[in-house]
Amino acid sequence: MNASPVDPKEGRFDRAANLLRVAAIAVVVLCACSLLVHAREPDAALGDQLAWAAVAVLLVVPLLRVAWLGVRWLRRGDVRFALVALGVLLVVATGALLA
Amino acid sequence: MNQAPIVIALLAAAAALLGSVGGVGGATLLVPVLVLLGNSPTDAAPIGLLTVAAGSLAAASRQLREGTVHHRLGLTVELAAASGAVVGALASTSLPESLLARILAGAALIGAVAAFTRKGVRNLPNPVLDAEPPGEWPGTLGGQYRLGDQIVPYHARHLERGLPASLGAGLIAGLSGVGGGFLKTPAMSELMKVPVKVAAATTTFTIGITASAGLLVYALQGRVQPVDGTGAILGAIAGGAVGARVQSRLPATTVRRVTGAMLLAVAVVVVVRS
Repeated sequence: MNASPVDPKEGRFDRAANLLRVAAIAVVVLCACSLLVHAREPDAALGDQLAWAAVAVLLVVPLLRVAWLGVRWLRRGDVRFALVALGVLLVVATGALLA
Repeated sequence: MNQAPIVIALLAAAAALLGSVGGVGGATLLVPVLVLLGNSPTDAAPIGLLTVAAGSLAAASRQLREGTVHHRLGLTVELAAASGAVVGALASTSLPESLLARILAGAALIGAVAAFTRKGVRNLPNPVLDAEPPGEWPGTLGGQYRLGDQIVPYHARHLERGLPASLGAGLIAGLSGVGGGFLKTPAMSELMKVPVKVAAATTTFTIGITASAGLLVYALQGRVQPVDGTGAILGAIAGGAVGARVQSRLPATTVRRVTGAMLLAVAVVVVVRS
């Protein structure tokens, strides 16, 4: 009996999925810490800083994911969709410049 | 905001629970309710997009492993949605609040219609593909997903119909702070003939980017109130997680109808008040 061959695509997103899970946990921890700090000392700057850190993670992670997909597709010769990913990032950057 | 962070957290949790079970997204319910509680639409919108971004991030890891997200399709339609979100967020500061409230009510109304009428395209399994892992086909808008023990191939069609719908969803997201998933998923499923499971997962991926594009503009305009946002984020993640568990135990049609009725009621009250 031969064992079934290992699928080369199996688990190809495991690392990215783990990073996304870590980011989600980081957001929860930062938000909980921010609320705790605020409950104890409403005027403490630390509470605001922790809250901004959580917001920053929420803002940046989707954009990093788009950049990662673009680089991945470019390396595999899928230039058309790499350009689409770049286009999405350019739209977001244009919005930030116009704001 | 007129409410304490803990109250916002509870409201966000309830909205995320109902929204995830009802398939319309929590922000579609949360933002109009915040406006009904006396907050201005311009203050409520960033809270809504924070919960959208949190919900998208919370689901990302599982959906990536399942292979149900079609990234190429998602980013293609996101070109239009992110553009809409940026334009909407930029325009929202120069529009009168009564008009923003009506846009929000319109979004809730569309969400209600989506909740009442939602259905999905069912593609047929292909036994030849049973040994293949689910995922997308490189260089195309096609792919395959797992349905029970079988693998079902699909190919997105009518991009020319999906792009305007995504642009509209992004515009509504940027203007009002609701996610726009209630427009994107039916657009992918009904107009582009993508299986509803793939459409829903791909939408969850893309609304995170739409929210990010809108939030970045809001943040640079000084409209993001991070401490109020933390309560909403925690509530949205907790409510979404409970909703995902409850979803399999409750009859989806009933929950969708209840959510649709609530959205309808909220839309009417927002219009009357504005």
